[in-house]
Amino acid sequence: MNKKSRPWFYSFPALAVISLIILFPILYTGYLSFTNMNIYHWFNPGIIGFENYRKALFVFDSGFLPALLRTILWTVLNMAIQVAVSFLISVLLNSEGLVLKNFYKTLLMFPWAMPAYVSILLWRLGIFNSQFGLLNHWLSLLKIEPVNWLNGNLSAFLCCMVVNLWMAFPFMILTMDGAIQSIDKSYYESAVLEGAGTFTKMTKITYPMIRPIIMPAVILTTFVTFKQFDTVYLMTQQVGSKTGADIHTVITYAYEKAFITSNYGYSAAISILIFIIIIALTVISKKYIREGGAQ
Amino acid sequence: MKTRTKFTALLLAACTMGSALTGCQGSTGAASSSAQSANAAVSSANSQKPVSITVWHEAEDGIVKPLKTELDKLSPNITVTFQRKQNMSDALKLSGNDPSSAPDLYLMAHDKTGTFAQMGILAPVTDFISESELSDLIPMTVKAGTYQDKIYQLPVYFETQMLIYNKALMKKVPTTTDDWLSYMKANTDTKKGTYALVEQHSTAYYAAAWMHSFGATIIDGEGKPELNSQAMKDALTYHKRFVAYEPTDGEYNTDTTLFLSGKAQAIIQGPWLIPSIKSAGIDYGVAPLPTVNSTGKPLMPYSGVEGMYVLKNAESAKKDAVAAVLRQLLKPEAGIALAEAADEAPANSKCYDDAAVSENASLMDMKNTAQTAVPMQNVPQMDVMWTVTENALSAINKNNQEIAAQLEDAQKKAIEGIAAMQ
Amino acid sequence: MIQNPRKRRIRLAFTNLFFIFLCIAGLIPILYALSVSFNSSNSVFATGFSLIPSDFTLDHYKNVIFSQPFLLWLKNTMLLAFFTVIISLAVAVPAAYAFSRFRFRGRKTTIYLLLLLNAFPSILSMLALYRLLHSMGLINTYTGLIIVYTGGMTIFSLWNMKGYFDTISIDIEHAAQIDGANDFQIICRIVLPLAKPTIIVTAVLVLINVWNDYIFAINFLSAAGKYTLAAGLYTLQATEQTRNWPLFSAASLLASLPILIIFFIIQKQMKSGLTSGGVKE
Repeated sequence: MNKKSRPWFYSFPALAVISLIILFPILYTGYLSFTNMNIYHWFNPGIIGFENYRKALFVFDSGFLPALLRTILWTVLNMAIQVAVSFLISVLLNSEGLVLKNFYKTLLMFPWAMPAYVSILLWRLGIFNSQFGLLNHWLSLLKIEPVNWLNGNLSAFLCCMVVNLWMAFPFMILTMDGAIQSIDKSYYESAVLEGAGTFTKMTKITYPMIRPIIMPAVILTTFVTFKQFDTVYLMTQQVGSKTGADIHTVITYAYEKAFITSNYGYSAAISILIFIIIIALTVISKKYIREGGAQ
Repeated sequence: MKTRTKFTALLLAACTMGSALTGCQGSTGAASSSAQSANAAVSSANSQKPVSITVWHEAEDGIVKPLKTELDKLSPNITVTFQRKQNMSDALKLSGNDPSSAPDLYLMAHDKTGTFAQMGILAPVTDFISESELSDLIPMTVKAGTYQDKIYQLPVYFETQMLIYNKALMKKVPTTTDDWLSYMKANTDTKKGTYALVEQHSTAYYAAAWMHSFGATIIDGEGKPELNSQAMKDALTYHKRFVAYEPTDGEYNTDTTLFLSGKAQAIIQGPWLIPSIKSAGIDYGVAPLPTVNSTGKPLMPYSGVEGMYVLKNAESAKKDAVAAVLRQLLKPEAGIALAEAADEAPANSKCYDDAAVSENASLMDMKNTAQTAVPMQNVPQMDVMWTVTENALSAINKNNQEIAAQLEDAQKKAIEGIAAMQ
Repeated sequence: MIQNPRKRRIRLAFTNLFFIFLCIAGLIPILYALSVSFNSSNSVFATGFSLIPSDFTLDHYKNVIFSQPFLLWLKNTMLLAFFTVIISLAVAVPAAYAFSRFRFRGRKTTIYLLLLLNAFPSILSMLALYRLLHSMGLINTYTGLIIVYTGGMTIFSLWNMKGYFDTISIDIEHAAQIDGANDFQIICRIVLPLAKPTIIVTAVLVLINVWNDYIFAINFLSAAGKYTLAAGLYTLQATEQTRNWPLFSAASLLASLPILIIFFIIQKQMKSGLTSGGVKE
């Protein structure tokens, strides 16, 4: 095999399965977006051109722009906190002489070992519930009035962020811990000999060394955070227990607009439009992504 | 040479992968081939062989068990399997009519009748049994599952909301809303977390009771939203005065825990709560829903009829078996068993001749409420309305947004959503 | 070392204190679930917040293990997770190696394109995947689910591992090449040991993805006997009206136990295979 075709040969299985499971649904959605597949034409959808896109533009009404800005804020805040805190924790986990390290690490991974819907249920009912939740229970011990955590826009947003971070930390910590472990110890030894303190070691050795390793994970997690649906939806928007807070992200907003209509053609058009928006945002931040691995 | 070893290694890897895949297939293959042969047996219409009927449901075990017992009487000719399917509505949209993964029947509330009938995956029950066989059913229950003049649902039981109170905490139950309001003012202590009344004030299904007694409706019979009517604004304005004395959260778990732990004197809920109340050892009573002073009408809750739907794919292959299942469910025994086991109100009026049913206070209350209750609308447009209405209600009651503005906005969103369905 | 041993001990004590606090704080929701699961009365709300509830019972755990198909679900999940992890790595490692080590036309475009594909909001993918699997006759089979899980994780795995491979010095590989080793041998003997941390992180990611997924499992498997733990758990919650909270909590905690055990075991494997000189500056 020649050198040109070898890499394609090696990556063929990966690209094949990606085409099947990721690319095909996108193309299929693209196709659906030009049809009128809805409950009135379930078994005989016809091609209707750009009609769904014309209708989908209604989605981009007054509610959409705030949702988009909120999603960007949500993504930036979540990622910044996630990366910074995970970094500190991972560095501390790798302190010399920390005997119980593996024990701590295992416990810190616990949130990850549960399906998201279970975790969210626990937080919503166990922690944030206004009558029985732990938070208000503690406030009452301090003789402070109970708070309706999930009803106001700001507090609901913050609560969702806490839950999202709680669920996201384990992966980031694991990734960073793995990266830190791969750093050659001799760097630190020579740094110490030169009189470097903990902070200098962290910023001058650990951070630059793990940066290229963790960048792909950070970039991909950013996408996951942007597209996060479960947290915001299950915490505040579930039918039967909506909390009245309007903290829609782009995805939950589109979901509510599209999915309740049972109109697959229309929902497909909305999905494609959101896809285009995310691509546009990605292209704008291309510089960071290139640094992070697309080189 | 170099290339060849490399290639062999990759081939080896591919082979192990392949065998891993077929290894899995092997374990599942046996099951699916036996399923296929079962299907083949059915389609050959050999009356000697048992016909298997699969029923999807989302109901609790207490409801499924008596139904299953009843349908087991059809064996060995027909074996009925009940299969719990979470998110059944989405699952039905995925599997549709596909005989290899869709069920033959499913048990569901009537409000999605229009959606699935319109999709074209349902066969009317009258394709299997004659309409005259439905004559014992309470007329409201049959009407509930009728969409565009076709009966798609075989009603099994129905539910309405009721006012349940704790006899130890509440000596006299107010009968009008004004009396209720002053009672709530006097008997609610939000600091201590004790309440006179709890209800799911911001869930459309519950709040509709208030709307109806003001003459408002979420949607009209033709599928036109009516969220911004004056009657609707009046209803929500009035209702909000009560919400002030209820837990803001107004969510199922909170409300029921407050009632079950004796911190709420009364609750507006459905019959599904009765088994928990009994096991919590609460001496409870069931009272009629109060009358609204200004309109003179009682709170008129939604009623929900739960029943069997037949998927089209079962029509040709299993017609006789499906008919036998439906007939078995029409017998009063099924309804009586259900009433005794799960406190659900049978759709068959003959069931109420049975002492065990007629002496059950909550069942009889539901039967009385059914006179004024409004069956949930079953048009496809209702799918949009549940979400839009609850958005407005929760913004108004939980996040203190302005009533008129929210309702206007909700109306606009509802119209957009309904337009987007086409 | 110049560091004062006493100062170091104090610092270590503080670090330990910090982690003890962090673990407790981070585990509050879990402790909450634990408390609910020990409660004999069916309530989602733990009475007050004491770890040992007033009417303590282990019945719910007994019930989960012996009266529910928990062990069957566990077996199904382990089978599915095992094959998905193996196949995911078998698919992604060569691809990550190719994109890291070779310079070829379309390389940059492809890797960037994969990232963009990953950005698709997959609200509607379920329908497309359902129809895809259906046309291949893979509905209600583990093969179908393995393909879906593998495909769903491949972009992440590929990116993640490629990033790590990029940081491994190529010199050792050149040396091995001169010694006549082929790509396969280089991957197995040099890259994999060096990249152990990222391989493990990726494998764990795939594993957890399978372990915690219930959406695909309940939609693509129709027989409850084939359910995975998360799917079974999801059906166990029944309707909200009659959910048995203590049972549900007990089952949730039991379901995450195997993952925690795996976490604990792999900690020791997290170190890079070669301790020095492996990672380039």
